[in-house]
Amino acid sequence: MQLAAMSLCLKADELKAWEKPFPENHEDLIAIQERLRKILPEAKKAVVAIESGGGAGSGVIVSEDGIVLTAAHVIGKRGKRVKVRLPDGKRVNAITLGGSEISDAGMAEITDEGGWPVAPMAARGSSKIGDWCFALGHPGGFDKERGIIVRLGRIIAKEDETIQTDSRLLGGDSGGPLFDFNGRVIGIHSRISKKDDQNFHAPIEAFHANWKSFREEKLLTQSSLREGGFLGVGCEETEDGLKVIEVVEDSVAKKARFRVGDIIVKVNGDFIDTREELTIAIATTGPGKSVIIDYRRGEKEMTAKVKLGKRPEFEEESEE
Amino acid sequence: MNSSVFLSRLVFGLCAGLLISNAIHAEDLSASQRLNGANTRKAFAKTKQAAFASTVRLIRNGKLITHGTIVSKEGLLLTKASACVGAREAVLADGQSYPVRIRRRDERTDLALLQMMAKDKSFEPVQWSNEMLPKEGGWMVSADPKLKGLKVGVNSGTPRAIKREGGVIGVILGRDGDATGGIAIAEVVPRAAGATAGLKKGDVVTKVNGKSVIRREQVIELVGSHDPGDVVSIEVIRDERSFSYQVTLGHRSVTFEMFNRNLQMSGPVSKRKDNFPMIIQHDLPLPPEAMGGPVLDINGKAVGLNMARVDRVTTYALTAKVAQESLKTLNR
Repeated sequence: MQLAAMSLCLKADELKAWEKPFPENHEDLIAIQERLRKILPEAKKAVVAIESGGGAGSGVIVSEDGIVLTAAHVIGKRGKRVKVRLPDGKRVNAITLGGSEISDAGMAEITDEGGWPVAPMAARGSSKIGDWCFALGHPGGFDKERGIIVRLGRIIAKEDETIQTDSRLLGGDSGGPLFDFNGRVIGIHSRISKKDDQNFHAPIEAFHANWKSFREEKLLTQSSLREGGFLGVGCEETEDGLKVIEVVEDSVAKKARFRVGDIIVKVNGDFIDTREELTIAIATTGPGKSVIIDYRRGEKEMTAKVKLGKRPEFEEESEE
Repeated sequence: MNSSVFLSRLVFGLCAGLLISNAIHAEDLSASQRLNGANTRKAFAKTKQAAFASTVRLIRNGKLITHGTIVSKEGLLLTKASACVGAREAVLADGQSYPVRIRRRDERTDLALLQMMAKDKSFEPVQWSNEMLPKEGGWMVSADPKLKGLKVGVNSGTPRAIKREGGVIGVILGRDGDATGGIAIAEVVPRAAGATAGLKKGDVVTKVNGKSVIRREQVIELVGSHDPGDVVSIEVIRDERSFSYQVTLGHRSVTFEMFNRNLQMSGPVSKRKDNFPMIIQHDLPLPPEAMGGPVLDINGKAVGLNMARVDRVTTYALTAKVAQESLKTLNR
């Protein structure tokens, strides 16, 4: 009994203040403050404002050749010329690439020559509920005197396509980075809720999963979703892969004899792990066009060539 | 938010006839562990004592109008001048209340000096931080509006002066008026200064305080050189007749609130949130009526005086240095 208690104590001692369920005392608070102050200057270097026409958002540079992560609703269109504003106020030229309005992940690329300051991206699955984090961005637009604004918070919820935190956000922050306490980007600011301590971020996982299609300027918007191709499977992300859990009646998936339990592996030769990847691959291909789907049924590897259908009309507000 | 979650529901509802799970509610972080949750705030016990000792609630007609900061043992208070008008009593965290009298105001900082009337009572004044400016990313702590708990956040932007914003009429001007001999009013903001005074859409502005105007910039400059609350005479032509109106200017941010999405999302904000000599910025979720109190660092030292709720992510606090200098002037 005593031993167990001791080892528990030891374990608790090893935890950093920001790894505990909550800060327990003054010392923990100081440790959190010092940690934030240590990683903040480096994190800010790669934070940018994105200016296009009247609107303005934020973003973060993640590669030396100028890939900028931002929100899909900030880029709006693909292949659009925008200005990226570095922390010192300098404007450089950039072009919007792809994105997805499901997660609200979006991408742009600086087209001017030069090596750019970079923020490291967190690996997939490296953030979880309860993690301390901080939001950076340009709320209300770029203001050189004021600088980049930091807001502390914690991850209060996380699902496949969104992270929710109590870091405070405002218009203009959209597209700005959410950092963890290791100085890595774990999300991109997306939406706010009415309550100021419940805001939404596109998880970094959405960028990892869709990197290739974003770079290829695939952009999934509400309208491209409505007008794009339709397969007719409902999926769930599992340990085994992307598992079909429903096949819609009268859909092309039904005709191609997809079944509940099938694991979708590839579309047109590209590996697919997430629902968002599948939706982008299908919806950015027009109705009437064919895709080749590799999938697994039990031990069997199977391939189907499917001519995509049209998305059925849907009733709004039918769910919940 | 709504549209994002709505969209993802839509997408999967569509693609699959499925609902997105509500995991976001089932598995979320308990309220007490959040940044402003009970457990987190408990760690601030030391700071809380300092915040509660030096913050007062200023009351008019039984209602909280603003906070104040105790700055002397004799019961002197600093507070936000433009928010404390009509304050009758100060209530401390322990529930004790004292009548207050206003001594002086400092227009430059928007600070006012008040005296709590209490015989033989020794108060606990705020302890100012010696740091010239607090370092970025540090904890910031203030008492909540009711003086029952704390609000915490961080020092979030570069300390700086906030420029003065002149007053506004609350109209949208048309193009330069070389042809019309003035500048036509394209829109009148409902219930704003101009509308209240009687200006109407289509009026052509010809003079501001007796000076003839022909370009938009002239109107903006002449009006903007006055402060909110100042009265400016505006001459207009309507139906070929000349009219003169006395307009009591409004605050820019409040007047154009309806056009500013960020302000709409921010809830109530302070009226005066400009023209400060030096501020620090933080993200504490405080309403406008919690201005006037101190904002403390983790050690309970006052690094500033909360002066303006600006928007959903921004509160300005006058630096400890500016507040102390202003106090000296006021107390001379």
